Amino acid sequence: MQGKNQTALCLCPTQNGYTDWVDLNEIANYASEKLQIKTIWFSNDLPLLNAEIIAEKIKQSNAVQIILAGDKPGFFKPLFSRAMRVVGLDPKNVKLVSFSEYGAVNRYHTGLAKALVACAFYNVPFDVAAKQPAKNVNPETLVIGGGIAGIQASLEIADGNQKVYLVERTGTIGGHMAMFDKTFPTLDCAACILTPKMVEIGQHPNIDLMTYCEVIDVSGEPGDYTVKIRQKARRVNLATCIGCGICSEKCPPNVPSEFDTGTGLRKSIYIPFPQAVPNKYLIDADSCTYVKNGKCGVCVKVCPVKDCINLDEKDHEVELKVGNIVVATGFQTFDAKKIERYGYGIYDNVVTSLEFERLVNAAGPTGGNITIRTTDKKGNKIFKGDSEVPKSYAIIHCIGSRDENHHKYCSRVCCMYSLKLAHLVKEKLPDAEVYEYYIDMRAFGKGYEEFYNRINSEGIHIIRGRTAKVLDKKGKLIVRSEDIEADKLIEQEVDMVILAVGLEPREDAKHIAEILGLSSDNEGWFKEYNYANDPVGTYNGGITIAGVCQGPKDIPDTVAQASAAAARVLQSIILGNVGAGLNTISPDVIIEKAKKLSTL
Amino acid sequence: MNNRVDPNFKNELYKLGNKESWNDCFHCGNCTAVCSLTEENIVFPRKAIRYMQMGLKDKLAQSAEPWLCYYCGDCTETCPRDANPGEIMMALRRWQTVKYEWTGLAGLFYKSFTSLIVALILVAIAILTIGFMKDFNHEAIMHFGHSLEFWLIICVFSIILVPNIIRMFYFTVIKAKVKAPIGSYIAAFLSLFGHMFTQIKTFKCDKQTTRWLIHFLVVMGYLGLLVITVFLDWFGTENQSIINLGYITGGLVFVFTFILMISRLSKNRELNKYSHSTDWFFIIWLFLMGLTAFLVRLFIDIDLLTNNFWLYMIHLMVITQWGLLLVPFGKWTHFLYRSFAVSFINLKKASLS
Repeated sequence: MQGKNQTALCLCPTQNGYTDWVDLNEIANYASEKLQIKTIWFSNDLPLLNAEIIAEKIKQSNAVQIILAGDKPGFFKPLFSRAMRVVGLDPKNVKLVSFSEYGAVNRYHTGLAKALVACAFYNVPFDVAAKQPAKNVNPETLVIGGGIAGIQASLEIADGNQKVYLVERTGTIGGHMAMFDKTFPTLDCAACILTPKMVEIGQHPNIDLMTYCEVIDVSGEPGDYTVKIRQKARRVNLATCIGCGICSEKCPPNVPSEFDTGTGLRKSIYIPFPQAVPNKYLIDADSCTYVKNGKCGVCVKVCPVKDCINLDEKDHEVELKVGNIVVATGFQTFDAKKIERYGYGIYDNVVTSLEFERLVNAAGPTGGNITIRTTDKKGNKIFKGDSEVPKSYAIIHCIGSRDENHHKYCSRVCCMYSLKLAHLVKEKLPDAEVYEYYIDMRAFGKGYEEFYNRINSEGIHIIRGRTAKVLDKKGKLIVRSEDIEADKLIEQEVDMVILAVGLEPREDAKHIAEILGLSSDNEGWFKEYNYANDPVGTYNGGITIAGVCQGPKDIPDTVAQASAAAARVLQSIILGNVGAGLNTISPDVIIEKAKKLSTL
Repeated sequence: MNNRVDPNFKNELYKLGNKESWNDCFHCGNCTAVCSLTEENIVFPRKAIRYMQMGLKDKLAQSAEPWLCYYCGDCTETCPRDANPGEIMMALRRWQTVKYEWTGLAGLFYKSFTSLIVALILVAIAILTIGFMKDFNHEAIMHFGHSLEFWLIICVFSIILVPNIIRMFYFTVIKAKVKAPIGSYIAAFLSLFGHMFTQIKTFKCDKQTTRWLIHFLVVMGYLGLLVITVFLDWFGTENQSIINLGYITGGLVFVFTFILMISRLSKNRELNKYSHSTDWFFIIWLFLMGLTAFLVRLFIDIDLLTNNFWLYMIHLMVITQWGLLLVPFGKWTHFLYRSFAVSFINLKKASLS
């Protein structure tokens, strides 16, 4: 019964201020010419909140069904439903087409947006019209990234008796979670959850662990990808190294440890941290005297295993054939130096949350003692276990998050980890004063509000007000902030300032997206197939995403998403095939198919 | 006290400033904390923004805080919501200028560009008519001009400016229930003139020295020119040192206002990015006043004025428009409000401590 003259289309322009958004005029032209929709409105031309006038317009147009398409069309649905009822039509005939739900977020996606509108017009679910013939799948899977997401996904698939290649860029798996001291809201020891999983990865017969490796090229099609991987020169033989550590004892240079985020030092030949998997040494070419000058080689001389260390090893490439790829590349923390007024990099005792995380960790450079930053003889700014202990702390939330000048989004984890850090300070130093400065306290998860209340009752000063400046006054730090609830300005003197830095896409996320052909959103996070009902799939068949690389999330959500990605992979292996991605099908084909399937 | 929420208030305020994204403020307090001029109990701009969003006009009329802001632009540059707090403070100052002015003419001129133009034209016609009535007799007109300046100052001061300041005192001190000890009134009064002529507080803001210097030179030039023309009879005197001093002050005014106009056009800093019509009238008339006074005296010195009397007529028009319209109902009043605000805030601080 829906046909010519009987469908009205209402296009909703974006409210987010993106300049490069889907071209709505082109869609309006398409709808009037190809779909013969006579009545086309733009939501910003309509007298909103007035169902009566809209009902009048519906009557004039003789429409019996209305398609609301564009950015957040759901916002207008109640209004149109009411208008339909006023006209005496079934409010169920108001259909929503959200462009961003399927990733049509800029003008290059106008074709996709057309297909979405057409599917709604022909009354065919988009997923049905866009479904592609399945392809045979290679049962082996590649997981990129060895953080908690990659570990979880690998274990799930490997436990399902399928072969997994886990590729990690650094010398050990574990990622950011391995650096954390405790997890919120349970205050479990992060390592106690993570290290057993890491060991399991190392020993699993179905997992081929490839650390110190980088994916450099992906070719082929869904179900049959060829992946080129660069195995960076580790210069220590993984098979023969016994992890005795004699080489490291004699190694001369000391450089900032990446795992300790520069709070401590490591040697050039090192294990990233004591529980690393694989628990084998590697050589950092950038600081090794031998690699730089051709002199030294002490580690080779002292190594008890013959031919274990090969200082002249070169990078080499490996090629893998896989059917599915799980992308779990994670995040990096916001560079606090970008906001100069917080004094990070200027004042020694302004630290980032990740640095502080290492500081309170018993396996960290200070053995779990919170101390002030000191400068050693060579000018390295590090923390030592026997230095002075700060007595008062300020934790500043939202560094780089919820800020139009940096990242507009909320990083989701900072409020909770800041509360956790406040608790850890109180736990170690019951007499310490801790001040937390927040904009809004976002305790959104299960048990989180309770966690906030618990920390609040521990005698921590939780102040509503974004800190704007950290100043130095005779060695003490002055934190300047408005206390909005008490209606006054406070200048609090503290010994140490902890900046709750937000999460941002990795610097090389763009590069990874290019290699894999993934789409990214405006912030740089990888775009999922459908935000609400398929947050692990992508437009590429056989490629799933998990963890923070899709958007900021905490550990429980990351683990859940990783398991979901693994389930998707196992499903395709069980079926023996995998659907081709949306990016290989042209919108015209989708429209043709929708026309054919149409029940009109 | 009427403390009802008025969501339409901000629409009223939109006419007085660059309104883009004002409503975006999520009250994080960044602007208050980044501002160098805020003190423990003297918090702005966030609090004023809250009042604005809620339309609490009474509360706003009682806050002298907007006048403490020298618009360095730090809050706008660092605002996480791009809500432009600096411009909101500017608009609130314009709103208060209108609020404290008792005749309502300031409100008319601030909100309607046309009405100000019409008033300026009317004044110009009046001056021409007077000139015509005096048969364009040079000496008679110059004598008239001189006494007009004198009486304008006295009348505008006593009829408009003083009552306005009393109104400001009534709102920000009496209605705001500031109860300060008598001693602090004396101290506040003594500190008043220092602030009025030096704007010393600007130095608490960062990177403001050049801006302060230009402003200071314009103020000094303007006040000097005022004294020299009105009380020392610059156009009639034979005293060479007074004549030279007049050249210096007149020159200061038009050279530095020209620089200020250029910077407003270049929009190189936060405070320059938006200019209300009243800002332009203020600065253009100040420039014209300095320039025409300078040229009139120059023409007298080189004996050109008798043949070019139109120049003095223009000067007289500019002066009258300035004194009759732009001083009492325009941006000029910030000279008083700003310095009195510092004193009233000092009273508030004394009452809170």
